[in-house]
Amino acid sequence: MVQDRLPDERIAVLSLQILIDRDKCMGSGNCVFWAPGIFDLGDDGISVVLDPAEGEERQMFLAQEGCPTRAISLWRDGVEVTSP
Amino acid sequence: MMSASLDETVGETVGETVGETASFDPFELQDTVTGDIRDPYPRMADLRRQSAVHFGNIDFTGSDDPEPSLVSEVPVPVSVFGHDEVVSVLRDDRTYSSTVYEGIMGVVMGPTILQMDAPRHKVQRALVSPAFRSRILERWETELVRSVVDDLIDAFAARGRADLVRELNFGFPVQVIARILGLPMVDYPKFQEWTIGLISVASNWDRAMAASEELRVYLTAVIEQRRRQPADDLISDLVVAEIEGERLSDEDILAFLRLLLPAGVETTYRATGNLLFGLLQHPEQLEALRNDRALFPQAFEESLRWEPPVTVILRKTLKDAVLGGVPIPANSDVGLFLGAANRDDRRYADPDTFDMFRQAQQHVGFGFGVHMCLGMHLARMEARVAVNAILDRLDDIRFDPDADDDPHIHGMAFRSPTSLPVCFSPR
Ligand code: HEM
Ligand code: SF4
Repeated sequence: MVQDRLPDERIAVLSLQILIDRDKCMGSGNCVFWAPGIFDLGDDGISVVLDPAEGEERQMFLAQEGCPTRAISLWRDGVEVTSP
Repeated sequence: MMSASLDETVGETVGETVGETASFDPFELQDTVTGDIRDPYPRMADLRRQSAVHFGNIDFTGSDDPEPSLVSEVPVPVSVFGHDEVVSVLRDDRTYSSTVYEGIMGVVMGPTILQMDAPRHKVQRALVSPAFRSRILERWETELVRSVVDDLIDAFAARGRADLVRELNFGFPVQVIARILGLPMVDYPKFQEWTIGLISVASNWDRAMAASEELRVYLTAVIEQRRRQPADDLISDLVVAEIEGERLSDEDILAFLRLLLPAGVETTYRATGNLLFGLLQHPEQLEALRNDRALFPQAFEESLRWEPPVTVILRKTLKDAVLGGVPIPANSDVGLFLGAANRDDRRYADPDTFDMFRQAQQHVGFGFGVHMCLGMHLARMEARVAVNAILDRLDDIRFDPDADDDPHIHGMAFRSPTSLPVCFSPR
């Protein structure tokens, strides 16, 4: 299910939360490549979180690191985290 | 193409312009376009160990290349060899501008998105992007790419041996892009010739200008025609594309189409070659991929890390900057060595080894930041279809031990195999 998200909306995944900054997203689709199922592009070409349970944490970090414009951030218990 | 200034010193050493009427061998200009360098990586690693950021000209021919240096006077004042430093530059497009390309590729292509900065870049890129999203591309995979590749393989499948560079890789991306644009098949050979003409701008000015002009005439007619009578193709989409009142002018479209040829053709055929080279050199990895095609994405990304076909891209500082602790003055040309960044041993263990089983990590083979390759999903799909067709149809494929050739990856600005002589069980 594709959900419309506000920029500051965070989604609980296990313990990891994904935040997409819609202003920074350039629609590269690289997150969809690294973590298909977790991310998708909406009709406007901007990334949306599809189903955070559809992949592994490792893929989320790949998507975060692979985002060319740093539009993706990951949060655990309110603290931003990067690839271990 | 994106690194054309690297070749600027090549001009003197190349022969004269090749007449347009002469029968065209697509390989004639390869060395002048790429620079004939076999392995620049040890030198890059040395330089990086000294400092991730260098000033002045750099000689890459200290290795096993006996020729006098073609790039000894690299006119790039600043060179960046570290991964994190390259990524910082590409993420800071307010400081490091793409307008540096105006005087290089801009001359033959016109004002393309490649050379634009924000805010214009964002608007134009959004207008051309929809056609290059992976979901839209699915349609082309079965309808187009596989059949183009199969036709090319048909021509040599029964022979039991082939040079995959000349007989497969070189031929398919141009056909794919031309058909996506909606251009008639009879024009494809012309197209390939123009493409090579465009990217040899630094080494062969006259040829590049001639190709640029011929393409302008040819494409302008097509754009006009599609304005009158839209069809189911990319040019028709571009003609009507509109976002928040912004549209593309004929000049914008013409420039973009001229960019697509080299950007989509030269790169993809080289990338496919580099992947095949890595696999043929490591038969156990080839076998693993043959048995599990789901491994394709990691195999291709690893080949793009290990041997990115575009090894250098350029930026220009709009203001004073500091990179990796090194101050860089405003107005400096900055060369970003993607190949060096991708083999930075501070980030990748055993970086010179092609290993598709290494843990996946982002690389900069497609660039990064707001200009990150628009065609990466198309390139990934094309390479996947081609390699799958090879694995499906050419049993037992391996380097041909009888070919008296010394296949190796070479080049400086662009890198790819000289040839891929293979043998396989004929069918
Ligand atoms: C494996 C094959 C490919 C590689 C390695 C590659 C590499 C690159 C790189 C490194 C850049 C960044 C240039 C810079 O920032 O200065 C780039 C940009 C670009 N590429 Fe590719 N490319 C490939 C395939 C394609 C294909 C198939 C197309 C189109 C059909 C394409 C179209 C473009 C365009 C239009 C840009 C400019 C994007 C912008 O400035 O916003 N590329 N490519
Ligand atoms: S990788 Fe980043 S810029 Fe690209 S679509 Fe995903 S969120 Fe947007």
